[in-house]
Amino acid sequence: MQDVLHQLGLGFLHLGTIPNATALVVGLVVGMLVAVLPGLTLVMGVVLALPFTYGMGVTSSIVLLTAMYLSGTYGGAFTSILFRIPGEPLDVPLLWDGYPMARQGEPARALGWTLLAALFGGLITAVSAVALAVPFAKFALRFDAPEYFAIVLFGLTGVVSLAGGSLTKAVVSLCIGLLLATVGVDETYGTDRYTFGIPILKDGIEYLTVMVGAYGLGEVLTRMEQGFTTPAMEGSREVKTRFPAWREITALKGTIARSSFIGVLCGIVPGAGATVGSFVAYGAEAQYGNRRHLLGTGIPEGIVAPQLASTATVGGHMVPLLALGIPGSGATAVILGAFLLHGVQPGPQIFQTSGDMVYTIFASMFAAVFGMCLLGYFAIRPLIWVLRLPEAVTSAFVALFCFVGAYSARNSLTDLWMIVIFGVVGYLFERYRFPIAPMVLGCILGPVAETQFMTSMIAYQNDPAIFFTRPISGVVMAFTVLALAYPLVRYVRGALRGRSGPGPIDAPAQEAKP
Amino acid sequence: MPSGKAKAILPYAALLAGAAYLYHDAGSFAASAKAGQLGPDFWPRAVLVLLMIVCAIEVARHAFFARAASPAEPGAAAEDEGPRYPRLLAAGMLITALYVPGMDYLGFFVATVAYLAAFMAVGRYRRWGVVAATSVLGSLAFVYVFMKVVYVSLPLGVGPFRLVSTALMSALGIH
Repeated sequence: MQDVLHQLGLGFLHLGTIPNATALVVGLVVGMLVAVLPGLTLVMGVVLALPFTYGMGVTSSIVLLTAMYLSGTYGGAFTSILFRIPGEPLDVPLLWDGYPMARQGEPARALGWTLLAALFGGLITAVSAVALAVPFAKFALRFDAPEYFAIVLFGLTGVVSLAGGSLTKAVVSLCIGLLLATVGVDETYGTDRYTFGIPILKDGIEYLTVMVGAYGLGEVLTRMEQGFTTPAMEGSREVKTRFPAWREITALKGTIARSSFIGVLCGIVPGAGATVGSFVAYGAEAQYGNRRHLLGTGIPEGIVAPQLASTATVGGHMVPLLALGIPGSGATAVILGAFLLHGVQPGPQIFQTSGDMVYTIFASMFAAVFGMCLLGYFAIRPLIWVLRLPEAVTSAFVALFCFVGAYSARNSLTDLWMIVIFGVVGYLFERYRFPIAPMVLGCILGPVAETQFMTSMIAYQNDPAIFFTRPISGVVMAFTVLALAYPLVRYVRGALRGRSGPGPIDAPAQEAKP
Repeated sequence: MPSGKAKAILPYAALLAGAAYLYHDAGSFAASAKAGQLGPDFWPRAVLVLLMIVCAIEVARHAFFARAASPAEPGAAAEDEGPRYPRLLAAGMLITALYVPGMDYLGFFVATVAYLAAFMAVGRYRRWGVVAATSVLGSLAFVYVFMKVVYVSLPLGVGPFRLVSTALMSALGIH
């Protein structure tokens, strides 16, 4: 414990250096801007920021992206509460009570509750990340290839089963991602796979182009087809925040405890990101809250629960990312991408090899919480000025960011063609409601999964039972089966209750984009 | 077959056909497998089998069991979300696709000014002064940030456009 606090203290010192502090501030501002703009999702923002980190140190890069991630879970609250336009899917439950409170003439109070919830959620997430990451990593030191494969598989199935509107579409998306990851020279045998004689494909398909194209350009094309109809918002000048009284805060201790637990848990479970956390926390409030019958009429519980839970997922996501190298969401997949771009492989060893960096990241999470709250309180008025920009103008620049960002990676025009191709793929995914997150995760985790699988097979004489007979991998595989069975059970139960014909096999929530 | 069903089946049928082709293609790199070990074709083929099973299930479900396309199905995608403008989309895709060779030929600055202006115009933004100003100033900002600050070597173009790019770089103090 003392050692952790000492390391954390050193982390704060490292955070004070100019590159890290600048990255923190820029990340907070950009994350807030991205979340405020309805056309830009949080994951898309993190993806677009990734190319800018090439020239930065690895610590500054991760500080920037983590700060964006954290403040992005808060920024969208402003448009939800003031204009009834959720900047992110995770902000949808916020408007159910936030907007009615604002309509009752108390927008400043609604924003005050949001800020408070973001502060609590942020602090809880930072503390849980510090507390859980080291035990997680120590446990993970016992892992061998079968355990890693089982965990990667669990991560992928978790995202598929929890994060998609339709299980089959999520599986299709995942398979496409896994196949994209096989393009290029095979690591084990050195054989060309699916290169079709095109030299650039020997290097494989950059997951950066998949992410930027599918998330960024795909969304731009989707909005273009809709005619860029989001109106510019002129009422953004009268924004104030008023804190609730201490007595009011203590009255919500049950809500705070419930939502904190749900948020951290949803962060640790792969696939159940901020959006799921936000919806589940609101649902829990509707089921167990003292004033559940008043939910939807503009009460603080309906604001605090989703905001607190969504912010609290961030630290939970960072735990498996740092300790195991497994991202549980789109945003953490991008952060993993930043690690890999800088030649750092997160995993249990990272606490020994790069302890300074890890604790600087943790320290940045604490600092980011206070930073985003200060930003939300004092600087939100100029930030939401961007809402007055026409959508066609902002979208043109988003598309440009996609191209320049992808070009910066290898200075290759082929990557720009990849952006166009995956932009169209992303548009088609949106059009036909296939989730993009499983494809991106498949693309990033595919090589890890294949390598660990092949290593296991070589080491254990091609015996697939090894994944089920070793204690840790066996337990993880059991969870994987449960994660896959859950939506099937829901489907069967729904069919038995007499649904009007067999529909798609539904998972419980919308795509958990962040 | 009703058109709703056909629309719902089409994406899965196309994926099924593509997966079958890739499965067959994987045979070409199976030869390099070592005796007693799984070859480089095993992993992609395993993924393709999963993909083909899912697609076959969806094709069968839509062909034989689904009564009508529900809003959650591919064929009925997002029809409840307001008007759509396929011509805008087609124009957007066209200028986006043209931007890539345009960047190579015209250089980053000229191509980007043209792309931004065309994108805003296609996006039905009609304040031409703003379009011109944001296109030029935005492109200049990108050139400055990426070439001077981030040190990315952006394309300069060919012939006279190369001269324009180099003159601009000199004016911005980029060497």
